[in-house]
Amino acid sequence: MVNIYQIFIQNITAFLEATVITLKLTSISLLLAMFIGLVIAFFKISKNRILYSIAQLYITVIRGTPLIVQLMFLYFGIIKIVVLPAFWAGTLALAIHAGAYIAEIFRGAIQSINPGQMEAARSLGMSRSLAMKRIIMPQAFKRAVPSLGNQFIIGLKDSSLVAYLGVPEIYGTALYEQASNFMPFETYMVAGMYYLVLVIIFTYLVSKLELKLDVEDGGRVS
Amino acid sequence: MIKIRNLNKHFGALHVLKDIDLDVKNREVVVIIGASGSGKSTLLRCINFLEMMDDGGKINVMGKNINPKLDDLNLVRQNVGMVFQHFNLFPHKTVLENVIEAPLYVKKMNHQEARKVGLEILDKVGMLCKADCYPLQLSGGQQQRVAIARALAMNPTIMLFDEPTSALDPELVNEVLQVMKELAREGMTMVVVTHEMGFAKEVADRVIYIDEGRIVEEGKPEQVFECPSQQRTESFLAKVI
Repeated sequence: MVNIYQIFIQNITAFLEATVITLKLTSISLLLAMFIGLVIAFFKISKNRILYSIAQLYITVIRGTPLIVQLMFLYFGIIKIVVLPAFWAGTLALAIHAGAYIAEIFRGAIQSINPGQMEAARSLGMSRSLAMKRIIMPQAFKRAVPSLGNQFIIGLKDSSLVAYLGVPEIYGTALYEQASNFMPFETYMVAGMYYLVLVIIFTYLVSKLELKLDVEDGGRVS
Repeated sequence: MIKIRNLNKHFGALHVLKDIDLDVKNREVVVIIGASGSGKSTLLRCINFLEMMDDGGKINVMGKNINPKLDDLNLVRQNVGMVFQHFNLFPHKTVLENVIEAPLYVKKMNHQEARKVGLEILDKVGMLCKADCYPLQLSGGQQQRVAIARALAMNPTIMLFDEPTSALDPELVNEVLQVMKELAREGMTMVVVTHEMGFAKEVADRVIYIDEGRIVEEGKPEQVFECPSQQRTESFLAKVI
C-alpha cells in the first residue's frame, strides 16, 4: 500500500500529463468515430447497392481485424507512403475502429424505430430526409445512448494501445516508468486506477444524460 | 376528389387488390368495410402512396393524375391527411409540437402563426388542455384525437382514416368517433376504413364492402346494411353486427 502511494505521488505530474493526452486521443477519435459511424450507418440502410456494399466491406474488415494491427498498419505499415505523427495515426486508427462499431449501433437504433413513425411523417408531406432529421434521428439517438456510452468506455481503454506508437498517454507512461523504477506491480496499479476513475466519471455523465433524455419525452420509452 | 381506375396491388405472389375502381366526390364520406386481410387498409394506403400500386392503375387526386415516379408525392400528401390505427404520434414531441411540426417544417409557417393554428385545432378536438403533455402521457383516445389534429393542421382537402378506433379500449372509441362525426358535418371529404358499423350507418354517404381484394358491394348505408345484394356481404354483416 505504501509503495503504491509512493509511486502515485512520485509520478503524479507525468500521469496527469498522460491523462490529458489520453483524454485528447479518446475525445477526438470518438468525435470522428461518431461522424464515420453515422455516415456508414446511412450507407448501410441505403437502398443504393454500392453504398450498402461500401458500408458492409468497411464493417467486415474493421471489425474483423484487431485494433493493434490497424494501429501498427496506419503508423509503421504505410510509413513509406505517408508519415503520420504518432498521435494522429493513433487517433485516426481509434476513430476508424470505433466507427465500425458505432455504425452498427446507429443502424440498429434507426431500424428499431417503428416504421409507423416514418409513415406518419411522410403522410404529412415531409420528405424522407426531413423525416429522418426531425422524427427518426432524435428518437434513434436517444435509443443509441446506452450502447454509445458503452462503446465510448471501450474507446477510452482502447486508447492505451496507442502507447505502442510511442505516445505517452497513461499506459505508455506506466510502461516507461516501470522500466526505470523496477516496480511494475505498483506502477500498473496506479495506471489502472487512472483509467478506472475516468471510466467511473464518464459512466456517471452518461447516466445523467440518459435521465435527461428520458425526462424530455415524458419519462417513457416508446 | 379521388378517382381510382384499375388499381391492382401485389405483395409478392399475393394479389391483394383486384381491379379497384372507386370515385370519391367532394364532401363525401365513404366508409370501407370488410374482413381483416381483405385489402381495405392497403387500398387506403395506396391513395396516400404509402403503398405503391402495380403498373397500369391510375389514381387521380384533386383532378390530377398522379404518377408516383415523377410527381412530387410530398405535395400530394400535403392535401391528404392520414390517421393511423396505432396513432403514430411522435413520442419525443409534445402534443402541440406534434401538431405544428408539419406546418413549421413543410409549409414553412412562422412559429407564432403555427402555434395559433395548432392551438385552435387542439381546441377543436378537445385536447387544448393537454397541449404541453407528451403523447405517452395520454390515453389511446386522446392520442388518436391528437393524431387527427396533427393531420388537420396541414389543412387537407381529404382525410383518410385507417381503422382509427381498432386499437382503442371500447370506452374510448366514442370520443374519437365524435371528432370524426364533427368533421363529416363540416363537409370534410373522408375515406374511412372501420369496423364501427354504427358510425358507418350514421355518417357514411356511401358504404363499400371489400372482400378478397375486390369491391363486392357499394351503396347507401341503409341499402348495404338492410338489403345487401350479394350473399357475401350478407354473411359478413351477419358476423359483425
